Amino acid sequence: MMKLLGVILATACLGGTLFAGDVTGKVSFNGTAPKPNRLRMNADPVCMKAHKDPVVSEEVVVNKNGTLKNVLVYVKDAKGGAAPKGKVVLDQIGCIYVPHVLGIQVGQELEILNSDPTLHNVHSLSKANPSFNQAMPMKGMKLTKKFDKVETFKVKCEVHPWMSAYIGIFNHPYFAVTGDDGSFTLKGVPAGEYTVEAWHEKYGTQTTKVKVDATGKATADFTFTGK
Amino acid sequence: MLFEQRARIPVEQRSYGKYYLIFSAILFLGTMWSVWDEVSVRRPWKDYQRRYHDLLLQRLDSVRAEVHAQIDSTAAAELVAELQKAKEALSSEEYLNALEQKTDLQKDLDIATREWRFARSRSDATYYAYKKAVAEGKDASSLRKELDGHDADIAHYAAEMETLNAKIAEVDVILNRYTGVVDSLQAAYNKMMAEVNALDLKIQRASSAPVQIRQVMLNDFEFTPFNEIKARIDRCQTCHLGWADPLMEDAPQPFTKHPVPELLAKHNPETFGCTPCHRGQGPALTAGFAHGDADHYWETPLLRGVDVYATCNTCHSNELVLKHAKPFTKAKQLIFESGCFGCHEVKGYADVPKIGPPLNDLTGKTSPEWIYRWVKNPKDYNPHTRMPDFKLTDEEAEAITAYLVKISGESTYRPLRSRGAYAGGSAQLGKRLFESVGCQACHTLGDEQTVRLARGTSYDIAPELTRVGSKVSPDWLFDWLKNPRHYNPEARMPSLRLTDDEARHLVAYLMGQKDTRSLPPVNLALQDEAKIQRGDRLIREYGCTGCHSIKGMENEGKVSVALSDFGRKKYEQMDYGDTKELPKTAKEDYIEHEDGTVSVKHTWAGWVWGKLKNARLYQTERIAQKMPVFSFNDEEIALIRMFLISMTRDVPLPAYQHPYDKRMQNIEAGRRLTMRYNCVQCHTLEEGGGYLVAKYEEAALGPPPLPESQGAKVQEQWLHAFLKSPTTIRPWLEVRMPTFNLTDEEIGIITKYFLGLSRQELSLRDYSSFAIDEKYLAPGKRLFEVYQCAKCHPTGNVRPGEVSASDLAPNLVMAANRLKPEWIKDWMLDPSKLQPGTRMPTFFYEGKGPDETVFGGDAHEQIKALQTYIWSLGARRRNVIAQGN
Repeated sequence: MMKLLGVILATACLGGTLFAGDVTGKVSFNGTAPKPNRLRMNADPVCMKAHKDPVVSEEVVVNKNGTLKNVLVYVKDAKGGAAPKGKVVLDQIGCIYVPHVLGIQVGQELEILNSDPTLHNVHSLSKANPSFNQAMPMKGMKLTKKFDKVETFKVKCEVHPWMSAYIGIFNHPYFAVTGDDGSFTLKGVPAGEYTVEAWHEKYGTQTTKVKVDATGKATADFTFTGK
Repeated sequence: MLFEQRARIPVEQRSYGKYYLIFSAILFLGTMWSVWDEVSVRRPWKDYQRRYHDLLLQRLDSVRAEVHAQIDSTAAAELVAELQKAKEALSSEEYLNALEQKTDLQKDLDIATREWRFARSRSDATYYAYKKAVAEGKDASSLRKELDGHDADIAHYAAEMETLNAKIAEVDVILNRYTGVVDSLQAAYNKMMAEVNALDLKIQRASSAPVQIRQVMLNDFEFTPFNEIKARIDRCQTCHLGWADPLMEDAPQPFTKHPVPELLAKHNPETFGCTPCHRGQGPALTAGFAHGDADHYWETPLLRGVDVYATCNTCHSNELVLKHAKPFTKAKQLIFESGCFGCHEVKGYADVPKIGPPLNDLTGKTSPEWIYRWVKNPKDYNPHTRMPDFKLTDEEAEAITAYLVKISGESTYRPLRSRGAYAGGSAQLGKRLFESVGCQACHTLGDEQTVRLARGTSYDIAPELTRVGSKVSPDWLFDWLKNPRHYNPEARMPSLRLTDDEARHLVAYLMGQKDTRSLPPVNLALQDEAKIQRGDRLIREYGCTGCHSIKGMENEGKVSVALSDFGRKKYEQMDYGDTKELPKTAKEDYIEHEDGTVSVKHTWAGWVWGKLKNARLYQTERIAQKMPVFSFNDEEIALIRMFLISMTRDVPLPAYQHPYDKRMQNIEAGRRLTMRYNCVQCHTLEEGGGYLVAKYEEAALGPPPLPESQGAKVQEQWLHAFLKSPTTIRPWLEVRMPTFNLTDEEIGIITKYFLGLSRQELSLRDYSSFAIDEKYLAPGKRLFEVYQCAKCHPTGNVRPGEVSASDLAPNLVMAANRLKPEWIKDWMLDPSKLQPGTRMPTFFYEGKGPDETVFGGDAHEQIKALQTYIWSLGARRRNVIAQGN
């Protein structure tokens, strides 16, 4: 009897992982892209020197194929998965945060790097997680942070007011940030019905329902409209 | 039939057995019932306690299971196996032999030690005899010999002890090899299981907890109505068992955890009981009687919802702010700002100044028509004014206007500048100024409501200016803006140090804010002496002087009843006018019917609700009422009613009260002053206020908060000079710290307030002689450069208008004259701790600074170096100035 139960349980568990698939999609942009703001870095010569070409704000980046970059896409109502061992890196290079938007799991390590020979302060405007504001005055300095609560918040540097980054914290691994082609893939989402949300720092959030079934594939496309 | 038959049997032979049996049975059952009733039915708390213990066990078990599951079971099993092995090794031959050897050695040691002691005793005795013989001149040689023999014995046994001890130590090494392993493994296992073991202990305690009455006795707690000291007995915790247990956060009543543990930290229910705050009938043991609902004659039933904060006032009536009792603080603020104490005597508000402006020079500011309309219905001009509606008739309003216009005629007020000096401003620039320099901290205008919303009150603290252009004269406005104290020497409106041009722009902007409604014209006969006389009488009768100072009426008293014992008034003593009665259990407190009648509950609480909703509610044809109608919202009414519940003379004896010491008095004086001058509109103080900050995208662009450490931050002399005449500290702020023209006494109150919050004493201190340790100066300078402090902090003269990153933080040249040296260190260690949300980052974490080449990275040494250097920046400048002079 116990054996039989064990077999059933084992199959159920395996089934759970077997019936999982990827949610893929694209974030399109409608309307005319706003003229990108040029970042004026004259307040700090170190930042000026780091760039040969003019630098523009990453607030709204519309890709060549008409898609929107830096959109954080995630399954809204999923749960599970222990924090992976690997760390996520947020670099400060040329007085710009790289990447501009990133996702990370609860309990996962975030390494903040300063690759600039100037003072940066990393000020998190988090609400659910304890906010921090730490100075990194020397090149090559590293900070390590971990987060407990799910939220998306801004990180900024007061010394260089143009610097901003956004960090999304999730209690599952099903999130992605759109890149230069505006597409994303949420890998290994267990079978089921979900709400997928796309978040953009300027245009807010959009949601759509997806169903990941036995075939293990689902698509979710979003369109943001410029104002 | 039966009785007839029975009657035939002779009395002597009749059997009473059956009756005896029946009555015995009844008696027996009755006894059983009474025992059952006494032990169980009338002691419902026993059942509560059993249920609580069951619930607690259930929750402890699940927590234990959770904690247990988190323990790495393979590691635990390995540890147990190792421990087992180590324990088994204790029965190995080597260990047992060693143990036996040790026992034998120990025995020998005991014998040797005993013999050594005996030898010493013998030696002492012989030594006495020897000395005695020597002293008496007898022959002591034999004694000397004997003594030497004893001493040899002592040495012999001592040597033997030493050898034995050494041997034991050798054996111990072997033994420890075995037991050490067991001990360290056991310690590791205990550490792994510590949480589980602690829970096991709790489970054990919970499962063997006795069912018993839990009673708190407060000896000599209060006076009876007959002035006798009496104790108070609380048995609430007999049923309310889970108040302290975090596991009972969401448990059902009566087991729920207390929602505000911070309050319990200061009022421990185990020593302070529950009824001093919650009221109710302490000794009662059934819910109905304990809560007072089922006991009609119990005068202080349980306080529910927000009402429970009323009892804070029994001991804290002197205080305006209680950190962990926000509703209490808000109610106190409401009373303070609404001026209830103008007409009623209210405990705790004896010496609060009048809340309204003086009315002696009104025609210098506005027109008689405006005064008339305002007096008639203030909310018509400004729906958010604090001035209540007296529901005056046209004739009454005209009479009051006549009196006010008459005394204005006797006024000597004239604007300082000549007529028309206000002209020439730009409304557009005025608007920009209005929105940036800080006017909006107190005044709303049009759709800009940020501060009103942030305050969350139904009224504004200063006049709304949406229609001000139709109220005031431009000459007056110009004069007022330049110096509010010229028109009203006690004005709370501060000077914003406007230049003439800035004031002109503001006049242009504000005079453009017209009342666009078409108002019916009024014809006023204001010169009529009879009318003036009538106005005089009406003003006294309605108690206008409760809020306003009015010439000729300097000695008027409070026109209405004292509220100091209002909370004890019985509902039978109240008049409900023509209102209909709402059932006591109704959800609503106030229902207006279509025919104009109103229903309220005919209880104390219902009466108060109706009165605060509409002060003229209980007016009838025969009973006139004078109290004006306020426009409080329901939340405010609930808070004021809560405050009124506290208006009793029941006060615990001093032993149960928080001492209202000098520090508290200083703090309280400061709270009253800062509330009066509305400092909290801009600055966050004691976790309240800072309403204007909501207007800014980033808090750092608004007025700075004043944290509790403010008193520890700035030098007293600097604060005095700054409050007298504010200077720019944060050049990036558009909003200006106004000049309040505070008196030295008022500045003293604020200084002591800040010091009190920081738990510092006012002391005479010469900050300029703070010694700089030269050793730290050079490292400080180096760190200042490496840490790039100057990226944000200017350290010298900054050309105005120069755009640079160093627009972000105060100029450090000011530090030596402004800051306390100790504070600089605390600040650098963790700025966010002293001022949450500050832009200043932390440079030091975990006791280390980023640059490890200076003082090995030691945070405290580095901070001392930076403090020294920063202090030297200003000190040097001071010296330069001194030399220059």
